[in-house]
Amino acid sequence: MSTVRSFLRGAVPPAVMVVLLVAAWQVCIWAFRPSAYLVPAPMDVVRAAGEMRAPLAGAAWMTGTSAAIGFAIAAGAGVLAGSVLAAVPFLMRGLYPIATLLQMVPLVAIAPLLVIWCGYGPRTAVASAAIVSVFPVLAATLDGMRGTDRGLVELFGTLRAGRVQRWWKLELPWAIPSIVTGLRVAAGLSVIGAIVGEFVGAFAGDESPVGILILSAMRENRTDLVFAAVAVAAIVGFVLFGLVSLGGWLLLRRWHASAA
Amino acid sequence: MVSRALAACACAWFAACSDSSSAAKPGAAGPAGAPAATKVRIQLNWVPEPEFGGIYAAAQDGIFAKEGLDVEIIKGSAGTPAAQMAASGQVEFAVTSGDQILSLREQGGNLVGLFAIFHTSPMGVMVPDASPYRSLEALWHSDATVAMEAGLPFVRYLNLRYPGGKVKLVPTGTGLAAFERGAVAGQQAFISSEPVQMELKKVPVRFLSLAEGGYDPYTVTVATSASYLERERATCAAFVRALREGWTRYLADPAKYNAEISRLNPAMGIEAMAIAAEKQHDLVAPPKGSADEVGWMPRERWERLAAQLKELGMIKEPPASIDAVFWNAPK
Repeated sequence: MSTVRSFLRGAVPPAVMVVLLVAAWQVCIWAFRPSAYLVPAPMDVVRAAGEMRAPLAGAAWMTGTSAAIGFAIAAGAGVLAGSVLAAVPFLMRGLYPIATLLQMVPLVAIAPLLVIWCGYGPRTAVASAAIVSVFPVLAATLDGMRGTDRGLVELFGTLRAGRVQRWWKLELPWAIPSIVTGLRVAAGLSVIGAIVGEFVGAFAGDESPVGILILSAMRENRTDLVFAAVAVAAIVGFVLFGLVSLGGWLLLRRWHASAA
Repeated sequence: MVSRALAACACAWFAACSDSSSAAKPGAAGPAGAPAATKVRIQLNWVPEPEFGGIYAAAQDGIFAKEGLDVEIIKGSAGTPAAQMAASGQVEFAVTSGDQILSLREQGGNLVGLFAIFHTSPMGVMVPDASPYRSLEALWHSDATVAMEAGLPFVRYLNLRYPGGKVKLVPTGTGLAAFERGAVAGQQAFISSEPVQMELKKVPVRFLSLAEGGYDPYTVTVATSASYLERERATCAAFVRALREGWTRYLADPAKYNAEISRLNPAMGIEAMAIAAEKQHDLVAPPKGSADEVGWMPRERWERLAAQLKELGMIKEPPASIDAVFWNAPK
């Protein structure tokens, strides 16, 4: 019962805000009467989503799959790289600034290169999703591991624990709350990365991912459909974020205050 | 990228809510009492290239000024929403395409075509000269990968014209890199652009014309909003006269104007511009024996385009009056 109550406490306010914002949007449409190609009315967006529900659903699945795979790759690579950098201070001092710099490179600038390296199709979207979401996981892992209690580290040393034992039984569990935070950030970013990859490298046809649907809708002056596709992209990102949050809660609920 | 779509719509929204008229009133007196030049802006939908040669010729030779116009030519790039900018009044004129004019009208963007730069569409698909695909039909029925922007009307046209096609479409975002590597069997092309780049690299290619394949909209068209045309008919007529004169001069001697265009677009050298001007010449200059002047738009072309777009599902219905979609300024 307390779980249901706390879920409602968390879900109701944003739901109410969404309703209010959509209502305000509709009021602005009635007041200013902008042309549909500039800003569509909420009902036009809903109508477009209804007309295109099958392609949008298929697109959500394709983009969600690419984002999820890219996210999984980023999660594994990020945790591994963060662990290595935490274990080897020299590498951390040398590579972390470079990793930070690489993260600043705009994805849209390198996306065409990804097509050349990975070819057309979902691989580019997956690579794009992985690239954009690996850094938050790496940074969170590094941060979490470097925050390991020094006393416990010394205790492990006293008990002659090996380096891998210390990592597996102390540092990694200690870093999990931080890693979960990084994964939550990475989840949303992976969808953005997947869509950017689709803009340059996805196949268009009867079944197209969200990125291609957005481009097609823009070229057809279907602003209502652009909004609908963007909403679908946001939902995909939200679902991924929700799954990661759920996983984090299941992992941490019994022993960490952040999941209380 | 997702937020970019929203940001573009938001900017257009604010423009729509603001006062859109910014051109000086025609005939308003200047400091010495002489009529001040009317300030207008034309938004290009791509970077400066010979496809806009007549516009730059009109500017360079003072033809706009002779017509009482102070014209600002605004460079475009990939994705510039030129049509929407003109429809919302952010600029007075824009370069867009005939199919865009018709499809935008259904969304409330009332544009009117004033001057068709290309009487025959310069769009097509470029394939290597050694390619087994000698026609659009052969290409479309293959399972080749072609770099082509999804959502454009001619993609729908090709799907409708050649049903059952197995061709795979991918975005053109990598430029010509994929084409040169052989990763795509064909590439969407503008006759005075991609084939020119290949010619400079000594890569033989063949151009499969969309116009010859049956889809021939006015691909590069100068347009304005219906409301601006109604308010400033004299200005629009002056602008069109200047464009006609500018294009006549450019067609006669493109080299004279390519130097300035190349200065504005250093990525395209003089040699490339010369080749481009040659390739596009017959698509811009009125056909031999035709009484039409450059830029002139026959009514039946617009009727045919509207009917085609309806067939393609790009518009629900052709406009009630096709005459509202275009305006040929008096000769």
